[in-house]
Amino acid sequence: MSSRFRASLLILGVAATALAACNREERHSRAKPIGETVPTGQSPDTIFPGSTTAQPLDARASLYDNNAPALSEGQFLYTRMNCVGCHSHGGGGMGVALMDDEWRYGGRLDQIAASIAEGRPNGMPAWRAKLTDDQIWKLAAYVRSLSGQPSKDVVNSRADAMSATSPATLTPREPVRSSDSAQQ
Amino acid sequence: MRRVDTAIVVGTLCAALFALTACDRSPEPKAGAPIVSANLPADGNRAVPSPAASPADDGNWVMPGKDYAATRFSALNQITPANVSKLALNFTFSTATSHGYEAPPLVVNGTMYLVTPFPNYLYALDLTKPGAPTKWVFKPKPLAAAQGVACCDTVNRGAVYDSGKIFFNTLDGQTIAVDANSGQQVWRTQLGNIQKGETITMAPLVAGGKVLVGNSGGEMGVRGWIAALDEGSGKVAWKAFNTGPDKDVLIGPRFKPFYAMDQGKDLGVKTWPPEAWKIGGATVWGWLSYDPETRLVFYGTSNPGPWNPDQRPGDNKWSTGVFARDINTGEAVWYYQSSPHDLFDHDDINEIILADIPWNGARRAALLRPARNGFFYVHDRRTGQVLSATPYGYINSAKGVDLKTGRLIPVAAKEPKPSRVTRDICPAAPGAKDWNPSAFSPLTGLVYIPHLNLCMDEGVMEANYISGTPYLGADAKMYAGPGGNRGVFTAWDPVNRRKVFEIKEDLPLWSPALATAGGLVFYGTMDGWFKAIDARNGKLLWQFKAGSGIIGQPISYRGPDGRQYIAVVAGVGGWAGAIVVGNMDPRDPTGALGFANAVKDLPMKSTAGGMLYVFTLPR
Amino acid sequence: MSRRTRAAAVALLFTGACSIQHYQSTFSDAAVEVRQFNILFVIFLVICAIMYLAVIAFLVAGLVRRRRRLANVMEDGRHHESDPLLRTALIGWGVVVGTGLVGLAIASFIADRSMANAAASEKLSITLTANQWWWDVRYNSADSSKTLRTANELHLPVGVPVRIILNSNDVIHSFWVPSLAGKQDLIPGRQNDISITPTKIGIYRGQCAEYCGAQHAHMALVVNVDSYADFLKWWRHQLQPAPPPATPLALAGYNFVTGRNCSACHAIAGTPASGTVGPDLTHLASRRTIAAGTMPMGKGNLYGWVADPQSLKPGSKMPTIALEPDELHAVVAYLETLK
Repeated sequence: MSSRFRASLLILGVAATALAACNREERHSRAKPIGETVPTGQSPDTIFPGSTTAQPLDARASLYDNNAPALSEGQFLYTRMNCVGCHSHGGGGMGVALMDDEWRYGGRLDQIAASIAEGRPNGMPAWRAKLTDDQIWKLAAYVRSLSGQPSKDVVNSRADAMSATSPATLTPREPVRSSDSAQQ
Repeated sequence: MRRVDTAIVVGTLCAALFALTACDRSPEPKAGAPIVSANLPADGNRAVPSPAASPADDGNWVMPGKDYAATRFSALNQITPANVSKLALNFTFSTATSHGYEAPPLVVNGTMYLVTPFPNYLYALDLTKPGAPTKWVFKPKPLAAAQGVACCDTVNRGAVYDSGKIFFNTLDGQTIAVDANSGQQVWRTQLGNIQKGETITMAPLVAGGKVLVGNSGGEMGVRGWIAALDEGSGKVAWKAFNTGPDKDVLIGPRFKPFYAMDQGKDLGVKTWPPEAWKIGGATVWGWLSYDPETRLVFYGTSNPGPWNPDQRPGDNKWSTGVFARDINTGEAVWYYQSSPHDLFDHDDINEIILADIPWNGARRAALLRPARNGFFYVHDRRTGQVLSATPYGYINSAKGVDLKTGRLIPVAAKEPKPSRVTRDICPAAPGAKDWNPSAFSPLTGLVYIPHLNLCMDEGVMEANYISGTPYLGADAKMYAGPGGNRGVFTAWDPVNRRKVFEIKEDLPLWSPALATAGGLVFYGTMDGWFKAIDARNGKLLWQFKAGSGIIGQPISYRGPDGRQYIAVVAGVGGWAGAIVVGNMDPRDPTGALGFANAVKDLPMKSTAGGMLYVFTLPR
Repeated sequence: MSRRTRAAAVALLFTGACSIQHYQSTFSDAAVEVRQFNILFVIFLVICAIMYLAVIAFLVAGLVRRRRRLANVMEDGRHHESDPLLRTALIGWGVVVGTGLVGLAIASFIADRSMANAAASEKLSITLTANQWWWDVRYNSADSSKTLRTANELHLPVGVPVRIILNSNDVIHSFWVPSLAGKQDLIPGRQNDISITPTKIGIYRGQCAEYCGAQHAHMALVVNVDSYADFLKWWRHQLQPAPPPATPLALAGYNFVTGRNCSACHAIAGTPASGTVGPDLTHLASRRTIAAGTMPMGKGNLYGWVADPQSLKPGSKMPTIALEPDELHAVVAYLETLK
């Protein structure tokens, strides 16, 4: 083997390893399985009598958390389903702020999806009949990106509207607290 | 380098540095001293309130505007510029709510009535006893979900007393009549539907045996209407929509709009794309005035929906305009559209003051209104003709009003269009003045206007209609207008059409004004300063720091002991204060439909509250 | 290649070109603009062909002459004067090229200016907004109550100059109806426009000509050029709201469409559904294709589309909704009444 041949073999080997390690997320075009509903329930930090541990995260969350196509679709739905009319671009208004660290009804992906699907008592509408579960999960994933939860290589760097908040790729990650200083 | 050269270089650098530090790019404007620009109008050259609509003052305050002419003027004169510095707190009362308090207290023969923002409690306080203890509380228990479809905080603009009953509206669209003595419900009528995004926040008008109520929801794709309920039974006597075919709008043979642009058949359908009028806005969430002589009720309609004008080509009748209707039948008598094909959410619901003005040597029955689009309109009360339209704030989005055609002349470059962001639109969406009403003093002939100096950037996109959700299609960012101050208090001479004096305020002014015969004008700021100024020149004579920002109507009444009292409820909120009551995040400038950007400092300057303050002179 | 084979290839090319059906062809003359483009194309082809042949001739001549000339130079060892014939030929060639280029520039300028002038006399204005992956069509009118919203299909009156205003809601698309006009991009954040004056009645197909995402291939546009009377009839019909459901099955479908997921995105005039995220469905059944050319309109295709759009157009914004069988029957029954 000549040295030149060995060098090209080495380069080829490195390239092959790099490609194999490149683990792109799975892009699915419909929920699996179709027709499953989003979970119901209160914040994971509610008191569950008789138990000492919090509820585990729903298994379907992994399909949407840190999934770039899901976040992109969620961004599209956030504007077109009028979330932006009440929650603005995370700052709130008629609705609560979504970019801060307070989650009245829980800030985990499955809890946000539950809030969207069921509605909440002080005015959050119930979307279960209007959006599919897949769309609701995608919206929940996007809502989490408003407070910087997903990793920065999956979020959409371009907002589709007039520049408002800092781009998603620069948003710092807020802690997720199930608290409510407005107390209502 | 030679010594001289070095000196020159260093000297230039120092000068530049000094200039830069002195270059105050974002000045911290503070409330300034009043700027007096003109004299008071001469005695014979003054507007006076319409006599039929403003009877003599009996020391009570029975409706938010004080009288049907909406003067917000108290004839009590014990408190004067000479003694107001001694004005002191007499008692307080906590309403136990912490959303924006936009209503006036009502006082009727020794009892004070307070209606709160959601959950719309109605309190009756006994003024004859020391400390004004509570006589009764009425709790209507409105639907909690109504909070989700109220665009601009869950406010209530007041109750009305008439014939032994208190009338008020709840957020979820009910009108309720409560017996003023016992606090028992007399009747309750459901008018609005929150599933469509409708709420009711306005204060009703009660006259001629009718209770007039209008809906809110121009930002939610609601179809606007005004209804009259029978005062005794609460049954709907008539209901007029503000969009749609003539028969729904109660337009008949009596309807005679003054200008050609408002004349035609079924304009409430023809000036919209097909079906768009059904979700077209034109709600009635603001102020109503009444002329007992002609039995006409005057009111304005809200913006058309959605905010994105590209989606609704046409003039969009009968939005952003003023109607005159017969109070018995609801028939429309005339209409004037202040902003045809509204581009900037310039609702026309501001207060309408009934006044008689000198005009070309005679007295003319007129309407005075400082409108949201920045023009102070003077109309002929009988025909709706615009006698004058003068800017009272800075406007770059319209060139003026053509008095021949009556039409607003827009500036094309400022029109929000898809595929671009339009910058520096003045006045911003809340206008040169929003709902907070001005006061009119017959003693000075001036209209005292607490208002705004805000401009905005706006970007539009296609709005999607889903009932019960916002129907906007726009992002906005507001900020201070020219001068850097976000609020301004103007004393306006409606006859000579000019500012007499003006006071710049740091924060936007969202509070109504009160004028008294003692020669004082009262108003509040969003950081809680309740101020008394001299009605002639605006000099600040007294102020009191309340526990929360003031956006509610101050009133003056004669207490059971014969003394003059001034009362106001302090509780910041409303659209301007949403950043406080909504616990919003100031990092998003588009929050609260763009207002958050203009008042990022407000949470540090005022917390939420709902406290009544009553002041009087010490004995 | 033998001479006979070569001749056959050329003949085939020409017959192929002549037999192109004008449904979607740049060689058609169904509109003023495309005719002008084709004339320009032929002018360019002819002039450039002449230039090309002349260049080939010069090359051949140069190769042949040079072989003979080389021998003379080697023998003499002296520098010879340039061949006067060659000099004349070169100057002549320069003149020909210059004239040719000027001629092309003039032709191009005339074609461009005449299209711009056509733009000035537009009588009809249509706003086309491209979305991923469908076309939102709005017919503008001075009388706002006559404005019309439809999707994925254009109807144009023959002989009338039309101005199409081009917007995009998301990414760059390109409007291309080859039989009627050239391409024009739809760029988010910018408004473009294009003029078309159709001259032949017929049906033409257009498609998105700028890669815009996963379903770029399924973003076609059908353009019907009708007589003026037929066009007005079509416009008047499109302004009619949807008829109320007549059968119980259609009523069940109406209730589902207006109460459930469909009305979140779609609009049907005359019903509470007023969504703008997806195509307007008021006259869905009168269109030729479903989902911007993905499939032809028909009962079976409607079933397939409503049941599972993601298997037919994966990645499109219409989600696969878990419909029960009777819900599916009801919805399709109602959609079929939307003629």
